[in-house]
Amino acid sequence: MTEQPALSVSNLTKQYANADHPVLDDISFTVPKGKVFVVVGPSGSGKSTLLRTIAGLEPIQGGTIALDGEVIETGRPDSAKAGRSRRSSALRTRIGMVFQSYDLFPNKTVLGNITLAPTLVQKRDRAEAEREAVKLLERVGLADRKDAWPHELSGGQRQRVAICRALILHPEVLLFDEVTAALDPEMVREVLDVMLGLAKSGQTMMIVTHEMNFARAIADHVILLDGGHIVEESDDAHAFFTNPNTERAQQFLRTFEFE
Amino acid sequence: MQGAEILLQPGVFPRLLQGLWVTVWIAGVSVGLSIPVGLLTGWLMTLNNRVVKVIMRVYLDFIRIMPQLALLFLAYYGFARWFDWNLDATGACVLVFVLWGGAELGDLVRGALVSIPEVQFESSYVLGLNAWQTFSRVILPQALRRLLPASVNLATRIVKTTSLAVLLGVVEVIKVGQQIIDANRFQYPSGTLWIYGVIFFMYFIVCWPLSIVARRLEKRWAND
Repeated sequence: MTEQPALSVSNLTKQYANADHPVLDDISFTVPKGKVFVVVGPSGSGKSTLLRTIAGLEPIQGGTIALDGEVIETGRPDSAKAGRSRRSSALRTRIGMVFQSYDLFPNKTVLGNITLAPTLVQKRDRAEAEREAVKLLERVGLADRKDAWPHELSGGQRQRVAICRALILHPEVLLFDEVTAALDPEMVREVLDVMLGLAKSGQTMMIVTHEMNFARAIADHVILLDGGHIVEESDDAHAFFTNPNTERAQQFLRTFEFE
Repeated sequence: MQGAEILLQPGVFPRLLQGLWVTVWIAGVSVGLSIPVGLLTGWLMTLNNRVVKVIMRVYLDFIRIMPQLALLFLAYYGFARWFDWNLDATGACVLVFVLWGGAELGDLVRGALVSIPEVQFESSYVLGLNAWQTFSRVILPQALRRLLPASVNLATRIVKTTSLAVLLGVVEVIKVGQQIIDANRFQYPSGTLWIYGVIFFMYFIVCWPLSIVARRLEKRWAND
């Protein structure tokens, strides 16, 4: 591979203080620039934890995380009880994250939510940040709600605003942690459509999801995580979802079928 | 309407208003100073430092267990005796009410801070906000809304508790009332009820707007 990967994780190990075995055990993978990397797996397999370690929300006990070729996190065995990573504000803005609970800042309007970080952290001009925020809102179909308060929006709308809030910082990698899992079924589509649009535009993304049809449609690369290990990985999402190699993957995918 | 004429005596109303002003002054200064003290103690209570936690726990429990009157006497007589610092009666009142208001408000602030969902901190972290920006722009504005109703309630309690200042010899509205009643005992034997009735309305007029403001703000912020 000639191009530098956007994100590369090597031998990542994550263990909670009082646990017998690690949540994530010696995980390695790379996310190429402009590609969509999907993580699937049963509950408790460590998918969300994996995203959280990359975002710096959880300390790691082994391995490294590198962003654009530069190591940003190195595991320390004694860090189980440490809090969030001490990485710099500037570095944090390079990895975006959208959470499952669609909590915007309730004390700020839609526009206020999106422009807070660019004006405060990146010291960008407010007018310029607002112009870009409106452009992003147009892209997700919410330009007319820019002055609304979060409580006036539906869950799906809030989640789309949360995506804009992450995008305005121009993150090199955008992490999605089961962003539709807490939404009403009819709100799911509008959020997934936005993500499909982002994938087409070349945004590097890492997605944890339970929506298998969506995963099949969007993934350039997919891994199945189970018990803290990568059980199967594939560059061919279609093949993975129709005819996986391992028995564990077949068994996992069968749980989504009803006949 | 027997005895109501006492209210029309020259000087009665102006004196009651003067007394009310002393009450409002003590309460206002105490509440005003309690706010920064409460924000600070509330923030300290959320820290994960064992020593700080124990100190704050002792402070809060001590203030809560002791009757305010005992605290007032401690401050008024104790300071003079132990530190050779002659705190006047008004000063002792303000000191006690600030210590008390600060502790109670601190506990409210702590409650409001810990009720903010973790994802608000995490969203702020991921967006690159530093600790201070997260606290001042995201967490505190949300916490203030949550603690407003209870803190207005606390402010009205402080206003009412200022009546204890009488026992240190502060001439506030109740003391003025007693003086008027005593001075007119023979002329208006049944004036007592009227004077206390007026005082009742004075307290009401001070505290009522507070609850109206609180209710308005609560309604406006209800949906967040």
